[in-house]
Amino acid sequence: MQVGLKIWRYDSKTGDRALREYEIDAPEEATLLDCLDIVKDKHDGSLAFRKSCRMMICGSCGMRMDGGAVLACKVRMYDIAQEGRVPVIAAMGNLPIVKDLVVDMDPFWEKMRAVDPYLKPRYDQAQERENVIPAPQMSVIHKESLCINCGCCVSECNSMEVDPDFLGPAALAKGMRFVGDPRDGATIERLEKYSEPHGLWDCTRCYFCSERCPKGVDPRDAIAKLGAEAMKNGIDRDMGAKHARWFVTSAKTTGWLRETELVPKTQGIVSSIREMKFAMGLAVKGKVPPPFPPHVAAEVHESRALFDLVKSQDRNGAAGIVQGEKALGRIESHHDASRGRDPYTEADSAPRPYLPSEREETEGVTP
Amino acid sequence: MEPTYDVLVVGAGCAGMRAAIEAHDRGASVGVISKLHPTRSHSGAAEGGINAALGNTAEDSPEMHAFDTVKGSDYLGDQDAIEILAAEAPGDIYQLEHWGAVFSRNGEGRLDQRPFGAAGSPRTVYAADITGHVLIQVLYEQLQRRMTQGMKVYEEFFAFRLLVEDGRCTGVISWDLMNGGVTLIRGKSVILATGGVGRLYRATTNAYACTGDGMSMALREGLPLKDIEFMQFHPTTMYPSGILITEGCRGEGGYLINKDGERFMQRYAPNALELASRDVVSRSETTEIEAGRGVNGSVYLDLRHLGPEKILTKLPGSRELAMTYAGVDPIYAPIPVRPGAHYHMGGVETDNQGLTGIEGLYAAGEVACVSVHGANRLGGNSLMETITFGRRSGHAAAEYALGAPAVGNGGEAARADAETWIKSLLGNTQGERPWSIRDELGQTMLDNFGVFRRPEKMEQQVEVIAGLRERYDRGVVIEDKGDVFNTDLTQVIELGYLLDIASCMLQAGIARKESRGAHSRPYDFPERDDANFLRHSISHWKGDGPELTYGEVRMTKWEPMERTY
Ligand SMILES: Cc1cc2nc3c(=O)[nH]c(=O)nc-3n(C[C@H](O)[C@H](O)[C@H](O)COP(=O)(O)OP(=O)(O)OC[C@H]3O[C@@H](n4cnc5c(N)ncnc54)[C@H](O)[C@@H]3O)c2cc1C
Ligand code: SF4
Ligand code: SF4
Ligand code: FES
Repeated sequence: MQVGLKIWRYDSKTGDRALREYEIDAPEEATLLDCLDIVKDKHDGSLAFRKSCRMMICGSCGMRMDGGAVLACKVRMYDIAQEGRVPVIAAMGNLPIVKDLVVDMDPFWEKMRAVDPYLKPRYDQAQERENVIPAPQMSVIHKESLCINCGCCVSECNSMEVDPDFLGPAALAKGMRFVGDPRDGATIERLEKYSEPHGLWDCTRCYFCSERCPKGVDPRDAIAKLGAEAMKNGIDRDMGAKHARWFVTSAKTTGWLRETELVPKTQGIVSSIREMKFAMGLAVKGKVPPPFPPHVAAEVHESRALFDLVKSQDRNGAAGIVQGEKALGRIESHHDASRGRDPYTEADSAPRPYLPSEREETEGVTP
Repeated sequence: MEPTYDVLVVGAGCAGMRAAIEAHDRGASVGVISKLHPTRSHSGAAEGGINAALGNTAEDSPEMHAFDTVKGSDYLGDQDAIEILAAEAPGDIYQLEHWGAVFSRNGEGRLDQRPFGAAGSPRTVYAADITGHVLIQVLYEQLQRRMTQGMKVYEEFFAFRLLVEDGRCTGVISWDLMNGGVTLIRGKSVILATGGVGRLYRATTNAYACTGDGMSMALREGLPLKDIEFMQFHPTTMYPSGILITEGCRGEGGYLINKDGERFMQRYAPNALELASRDVVSRSETTEIEAGRGVNGSVYLDLRHLGPEKILTKLPGSRELAMTYAGVDPIYAPIPVRPGAHYHMGGVETDNQGLTGIEGLYAAGEVACVSVHGANRLGGNSLMETITFGRRSGHAAAEYALGAPAVGNGGEAARADAETWIKSLLGNTQGERPWSIRDELGQTMLDNFGVFRRPEKMEQQVEVIAGLRERYDRGVVIEDKGDVFNTDLTQVIELGYLLDIASCMLQAGIARKESRGAHSRPYDFPERDDANFLRHSISHWKGDGPELTYGEVRMTKWEPMERTY
């Protein structure tokens, strides 16, 4: 098939930047990575990009396609080529470009290192055999341990764009991988560290990371779990934590969110005066009711019952949130069991398996 | 003055990282060089699992593990090395678990173990179907911890020459991918852990980076490669990409069927069926395909009867791979699979401490041949080898280095010489681009030196390789003349390595007039011949080609028997 690509070329030595178009011939099963290989082999050997596994496990080939981060080896080109689309390929965002599609990953790894990315064992001495841990306890961090460090999430992170010091989605997901590990003994130390400025509360909840993650790590969910764990452990000095705690209190007591109180509760009186003008503006436009007297929702008992239920299930920490936020990254291979397909009777299905000996017994034929 | 370490590790897959950790913990200063960032190493692609006789699922013992391995190796494995592997594996797995490896658990909260091909007991520890990924992550976590304690990692440094002074290896010369330039880094001892050479074949499960660099570098310094003709073909690589579908799929109960739906393995391995040894399964598939009972040169791996629940919880990664690269959802349709080059049993000859024939030079992992795999590796044993023998070589290299004299200072001449060579490569403007040589090599190796080896095809392949070598030597053109991330340069160097290994493989393969493990000659020597070939092939590089001799197999307590499953 014919594939067209527009590739942003860049040379860090000269600073030259140019958008080049390539027209190549590729086999139908080709991925974007295969196409880049063809460009490099047969059209321009100076094109630079990273690759290794070509099976979405090594995390080398993160880059942008039409403005969003992808793993090049995960993108099948067939449909794109059929539509006659010519996608624009560029290096990932939020990381310095070195050459063409290659970025400098050092800032990525520096942040990773900032979360102490290794187990700090809770036991004093290594025992003779393995730690015995119920499987469900380990599955809390299943998602987080899928991360291949590709950087796609970081590339699209909103908060990182305005604050390059923000720890960012990949590093925080790695943090959750240890906070959620029953074998780790440094939970409080970690949560304190991750709650510092540029830490977990600086996430704007834009969900771009979760949307772009090719492995279903769902970093935003990991960050939510970290936040919940921090609050559960009384680490709530940060504004973001107070903000979240007030959400719960407000919903429990009055059955709805009292936004006007949210600001003083989370930021303190002095800084909230600065926000006053904004709040007044909202009140005037009817977006929020005036703060006094507090308005109590008619069905507040429902909200309270919900609160008590969650509490009674001991779900006020990580586990309570995990299920709430869906791993978006895996939607494309999501399985819908409700369709009731029968794998053996569909028109193009392969024959039902049998053992040669069974056939001999039932039909008396030898294969 | 160049940086000098006690132990310098080349390669940062499972073997390299485990070696580096051990050397560091033994008090040595450690440097690590890797052409890829460590977490990009191909160990991360391993899916199925890692073998250790923990006995968590059923009764098991190191003795049973060792016997299965000896038998699986078709008796070409060195039995003392195999006994070491089996005995030390459990401790190594517990260590990984204590470091935080996220392995799958059984109902009691212990490490779960799944059945794997040709194993007498379920002994494969795993992490869903991302075992290698989990190992790479935990080892890199531990590496990062030690990086705060002085360990230095040179990421994206392409090593291309060993520095050997007065018969002792004292350093490595590399090309700095990020910044360009030829650098010498010194080590009182050096450990090669550069992985395998699957890229020699067009259909392979191996990553682009698996080009046998360490094997060729060692060969060119006069070291022997052992049993280099033994390339294992994995029976379930997807058509057409070559991407692997783990043996774990069959461990969980998957079927292999031909175009009629027949579970043909019953005709070849009536007891083990789909779980027979890899070489047996690959040959059975090839026989089916050659007899016209395949589809598009493939057979099917059928998981439909396992049901969505099991597929989604136990094999989600395999499902995703099948959907992305073969366009089928295994819940509803079988996956087209065929044999593809997977694992190189042969490699740089080492002793049980990882020491090669050059003082101060060690090797571990797929680049090495101890030999624990002999003529055929059992699934799950090679990850274990990277860990156990990675650790052992790290230990031995550190011990040697801490008592060794300082390195000499004759390195600059060698570095300058290497730099001149790189400049000449870059300066070449006459000739062809490397890809056509690379693709022809890959296709012809598959056709002429694949699962079944026919005498006339092997002879033909010798000619092909000679022709490709001539074209390569005439000069290939590197279009990228720059310093920054010049993979156009490194892939030309890698192609040279591939050609070296191919020559050695063909010579040893033609001379081995028998069928053993992965080396199968059904048309002229269909039987194993212990009288003449229960010996290791030993290949040296002499002048401009390989030279073959033989070495003894180390036996302890198992006499060769016929291999049936
Ligand atoms: C798809 C797949 C699945 C597998 N599944 C299993 C399994 O389930 N169980 C099992 O036991 N085994 C499995 N194997 C085999 C096993 O994964 C490998 O044999 C093993 O991981 C090799 O590890 P290694 O550390 O020796 O090499 P690698 O992990 O390949 O690492 C090589 C390292 O060397 C570096 N390097 C290479 N050349 C140079 C150079 N010139 N300069 C600098 N650095 C260099 C690379 O950057 C890399 O860091 C599988 C293999 C594949 C391909
Ligand atoms: S949700 Fe948070 S971490 Fe994720 S991309 Fe948005 S700001 Fe960044
Ligand atoms: S969280 Fe996802 S997108 Fe981010 S680095 Fe990990 S795998 Fe890549
Ligand atoms: S090449 Fe490894 S993730 Fe794409």
